[in-house]
Amino acid sequence: MSQTPIDPHSPWQQMVARFQKDKIGMLAAGFAGFVLIVAVVVGICSCFGLYFPHDPNQTDLERKLLPPNWVNWLGTDNLGRDVLSRILQGAWISLSVGFIAVSVSLLIGVFVGAVSGWVGGWLDNLLMRIVDAIMCFPSFFLILTVVALVGPNIWNIVVVIGLVSWTGTARLVRAEFLTLREMEFVRAARSIGQRGWVIAFRHVLPNAAAPIFVTAVLGVPDAILAEAGLSYLGFGVQPPQATWGNIITDGKVYILDAWWLILFPGVAIFLTALSFYLLGDALRRAADTRAERK
Amino acid sequence: MMLLRKIIIGLPVILILLTILAFWNATRLVQNPQNVMMIGMLGEASNLNPILSTDASSFQVSSLIFQALLSVDENMNLIGELAQSWTLRQKTTFFFPDKQTANAAAQSLRDFFAQKNQPAPLFEISSREFFTELQITHDQPGLDLPNQLAEIFQDHLPVTILNFDLKDEGAAWCQRIRENPAFARVVRSFSESKHRLEVAFVGHDFDAKILTSQLLDSLGLALADSKIISEEKLSFLAEPEILFHLREGVCWQDGHPFSADDVLFTYSSIMDDTIASPRKSDFTLIGEITKLSDQELLVRYRRPYSPALNSWRMAIIPAHILKGKSPQWWAENFNRKPIGTGPFRLAEWKTNEYIRLERNPNYWRNPAPWLDAIIFRVLPDPITLRLAFETRQVDFWSVDPWAVKAFLKDNRFDLFRSPTSTYTYVGWNLRKPIFQDIRIRKALAHAVDVSAMIRYLLYGYGSQSNGIFTPQMWFYDPSIQPLEYNPEKARRLLAEAGWMPGPDGILQKDGRRFEFTLITNNANEIRRDAATLLQDNLRKVGISVSIELYEWAVLISRFVHKAEFDAILLGWSLPQDDFDQFQIWHSSQTAPAMLNIIGFESQTVDTLLEKLRSEFDRQKILELASQLQREIYSLQPYLFLFVPEATSVMWRNSYRVCRPLPGGDWLDEPVRMTKAGWTIYLEWFYRPEFSNRLPQSRQVISDASPKNSLTSK
Amino acid sequence: MTAFILRRLSIAVLLLFAISLISFFIVTLTPGSPYPWGELNPKISEDVKRAFREKFHLDEPLHKQYFLIMQDLFSGKLRSIKDERSVLDKIAERLPATLALNAVSLLLSLSFGLLLGIYAARYYGRLPDIATSVLAFAFIALPGFWVSYLVAIGFSHLAGAPVLGLSSFGVVFPSTLSRLLDFFWHIAVPAWVLAIGGIAAQSRFLRATMVEALREDYIRTARAKGLSEQIILFKHALRNSLRPLITGIGLLLPAMVSGSVIVESIFAYPGIGRLGYEAVLERDYPTLVALNFIVAVLVLLGNLVSDILYAIVDPRVRLE
Repeated sequence: MSQTPIDPHSPWQQMVARFQKDKIGMLAAGFAGFVLIVAVVVGICSCFGLYFPHDPNQTDLERKLLPPNWVNWLGTDNLGRDVLSRILQGAWISLSVGFIAVSVSLLIGVFVGAVSGWVGGWLDNLLMRIVDAIMCFPSFFLILTVVALVGPNIWNIVVVIGLVSWTGTARLVRAEFLTLREMEFVRAARSIGQRGWVIAFRHVLPNAAAPIFVTAVLGVPDAILAEAGLSYLGFGVQPPQATWGNIITDGKVYILDAWWLILFPGVAIFLTALSFYLLGDALRRAADTRAERK
Repeated sequence: MMLLRKIIIGLPVILILLTILAFWNATRLVQNPQNVMMIGMLGEASNLNPILSTDASSFQVSSLIFQALLSVDENMNLIGELAQSWTLRQKTTFFFPDKQTANAAAQSLRDFFAQKNQPAPLFEISSREFFTELQITHDQPGLDLPNQLAEIFQDHLPVTILNFDLKDEGAAWCQRIRENPAFARVVRSFSESKHRLEVAFVGHDFDAKILTSQLLDSLGLALADSKIISEEKLSFLAEPEILFHLREGVCWQDGHPFSADDVLFTYSSIMDDTIASPRKSDFTLIGEITKLSDQELLVRYRRPYSPALNSWRMAIIPAHILKGKSPQWWAENFNRKPIGTGPFRLAEWKTNEYIRLERNPNYWRNPAPWLDAIIFRVLPDPITLRLAFETRQVDFWSVDPWAVKAFLKDNRFDLFRSPTSTYTYVGWNLRKPIFQDIRIRKALAHAVDVSAMIRYLLYGYGSQSNGIFTPQMWFYDPSIQPLEYNPEKARRLLAEAGWMPGPDGILQKDGRRFEFTLITNNANEIRRDAATLLQDNLRKVGISVSIELYEWAVLISRFVHKAEFDAILLGWSLPQDDFDQFQIWHSSQTAPAMLNIIGFESQTVDTLLEKLRSEFDRQKILELASQLQREIYSLQPYLFLFVPEATSVMWRNSYRVCRPLPGGDWLDEPVRMTKAGWTIYLEWFYRPEFSNRLPQSRQVISDASPKNSLTSK
Repeated sequence: MTAFILRRLSIAVLLLFAISLISFFIVTLTPGSPYPWGELNPKISEDVKRAFREKFHLDEPLHKQYFLIMQDLFSGKLRSIKDERSVLDKIAERLPATLALNAVSLLLSLSFGLLLGIYAARYYGRLPDIATSVLAFAFIALPGFWVSYLVAIGFSHLAGAPVLGLSSFGVVFPSTLSRLLDFFWHIAVPAWVLAIGGIAAQSRFLRATMVEALREDYIRTARAKGLSEQIILFKHALRNSLRPLITGIGLLLPAMVSGSVIVESIFAYPGIGRLGYEAVLERDYPTLVALNFIVAVLVLLGNLVSDILYAIVDPRVRLE
């Protein structure tokens, strides 16, 4: 520990520098960024009623179940809707699901973890038992019942997915806080009379930011996949809002007759989830300060 | 520690090898030809007790184990099963103030029949404390003859029927009323459940309220504890009777002989509140069942109820096993280990895997069945079910419409298609002002292209619905012309009603946009797609529809039962032989949680429904049903969409039917579609590889492209 | 030690109480009544529905219903609303199949996870590490039901090796061995599909702990002593990395029960996941509450046992 070279840069800058050397990470980041931009562009355009290449909800029964062709590059579904347009629309909604669910889970997880780790004592004990209790539940049943309780609109599903996935974050943040609490800079801050909460959120939290960020990146594909699984069971986001999960679910009965209906959205989920996972993993490697000390 | 290394490297290798070995083993297993039928089902049967089950899977399995008094033949005519034969008649009772008027009435009765040159029916006069009864026994059930007689009889006393909702103890009260001399004017008392009490009084000078409070007082209960649900004034009591002669020599699968006691027990179990049987509503109008002998049974109904005979297609359960046992005991010992009188008996039930039925060697209709066993496999995913069919792990498959084409072209398969008794509709919530205008409802019907739905969602396997009955039903009226797709006309009708296109293309009236929410359940692809097409169609005439899908339980409890919806896309799946749709259309059934979910009220329809319930004559039923269908269709409370066809595929010639003909000959024919479905002769199905038990001399119809479709076109 | 176990047990009892309470209230507050399929059936009269509700105490106040359910659960008399069978029987008859599936799947994910994790850690930062990590994430990134369909269609249709249910139907088994292999095949395929994610997760986890361990001073000492890389890997580094792996298994239980709903449906496998899923759809409160409760008991038990094991294996940990 003692021989760590004094680095002129902040931890974030170091992390970015290390990350830039990671080819796979950069590739994943590139793809994830591309998907993100596409999703946002599609999202903004659809607000103004602009669609590419077709209106994803426009049915055309004369052109149903067409294999990929020049007009419908990825074919059409059983109501003659353009699969490519729906996948693009799905990108916006699926990614929204992913990001919002992660935000919800981060918000709760960071707050609970921080309070638990910082305050300690009986509160820590209580909060961690609550975390234990939630982890004891078969999460899928929990999601199913809660979705049935509040109704399957997109916001509810997002919140529910977020609500069952914060426990991991909470434990992680708590562990970080427990370590950081005892660090010298905290003691220093205390000694100059700063209030506990100010220290926790101004000094400690930024130092725990890297692992939290990594968890967040890894949480996005988890939420997207969770929504796909829910769609299969009929508890996902309901049409006409297209998500990748419900495009596959809607098309699954045609699996033996119209392969393009489930292949393309499946590939979209796969590639997006993979790129986010690889990105998260690369970020974790970059954030891992000890790796350099080898 | 190096052992650990060996394990860590060795285990995955072993697992991979084992999997490969298992795969190799699976590919070289050969089918063992057995005389067994394999049927795939999506949902597992939940309960094989026929008086308790509600799901289609349970019904499918239990109908092979249990049998009913009556059944239908391939043309949907009633035939006897456990009943050898039956006789229908009616007891009509008129009440007179004294013996003289009764005798006079008897004379006019004789005259009435003498005029018609017919023998007078049997009658009986008996005197009571306050009145004299004239009871006529005749063999035409219904209200026809009694109504004619009521006109020629003078001075007869009216009957008032009161129906109470009590807190409790309905049955005990019945007993006490009968025993109490103060209620000499009470001619009938009946309790169909512990909450219900029905009492019939005779006479003019009765105020129901006063009488009720008297009645309750004498029983030591306050009026507040009960309420009168209905009060009917009749001029006579008409009580149809069915006399069943049971088949002799029928045994339960455990060897115990079948008798009238079993029928009596089945009835009392269905009526028992602690059992809560879903079949109860079919039997509530029964007044009394009397066992005349071990093979004879008399069922008396409290009023003419034409679906009565059909209700005896209800399977009979064994009294000698179940009598005196608790519902819990049933659940443990019978509902999953049933004993019936049918052609197959339960051999093995592996939860969520399969149910294996084997041939009942003591079946009374010897030598049926030909098959040794039937296995129902549970395959919960529709795609894997299809895979199982295509790899010949199951013999039949209820093919989904979109896949039909693939099987139609392939001559390895036989396709069976028949109209179902199900129709899909959009119900407009008539409590909402917007749907109260009939022009709007008609416009909505003209705006929706139902034929496109049939062509593209059902792939042509269906027909446009023209009302509350479906082509498969014998009382269906095909002459009613469905409203045609005509968006222009729709726009005109909407304009007449004051709806004009607004700036965004959506119709407006008084500054309100024409928009509503259409809800349906989420697990049904056809409904979901139909809703999407409807949304599209209506957008073209300027109506904005948003679609919401809910899980079934949520849909029912949050929207349907609370009547909180604009429009709902659902389907009714109705018994093919039941014309009684009282619960769905009668104006008394609009309260929350009742089945007139859209709040439809029409005097004409109410009257037709009531008449239909008490009519026994086939011709008259046909007329009334047709009027009912026409009247409801003209009011367009629903947007009637389509009647889907049921389509099933079987591997070609994997089964044939060899059945006895009435003359004693045997007929050997391919499996074919009948009005009662293609599995009606299931007990006579045989596999051509196992034909050694079939009779030698039989008339063989070889496979000459069987006509397997029964479509209305 | 005893004090520790007692304290943990008392916490566990409290937790169980909370869990049963939460699961009961969530399921009962969910809209929809038990027996939803009987709702829109003209043949089922109001009277029958009332009798039905009385039979299962559905009109009692919630706290009383909760009390009745818990009372029945502990006396073993709890009955499913769907078919009135004992809930414990219903769970018990599916338990063996579920356990078999999950045991094979766990075995697969642990054995392959270990191997790949060690391999990746050994070649940390080099091609094999990168390749396994990309592969691992590729596995997790596949939507489960999508893979299940592809596998089911692939084997049934193309390879002629049926994968549905627990055994092949209507075939002749030439020997008992063949029958056993067939049984194994029907478990192995869904287990592989379930294990795909597990292998990836375990290998990532083990790789991380191994890399950490390989940086420790004692490994450097061992290297300095000139021990072979194999011995260092398997003897020294692995031993310290195995412990968190073992303790993590307890937490996998709830996911095992609920996460297999989809795989069980597609492969027609008679497991507990579908029991729970159907109970949700049918609002079968007793079954759901019992299922959640039993899973929670198993998890807490698993945690306790792994804590104790941990203490036994690692003398540095004191249970207090």
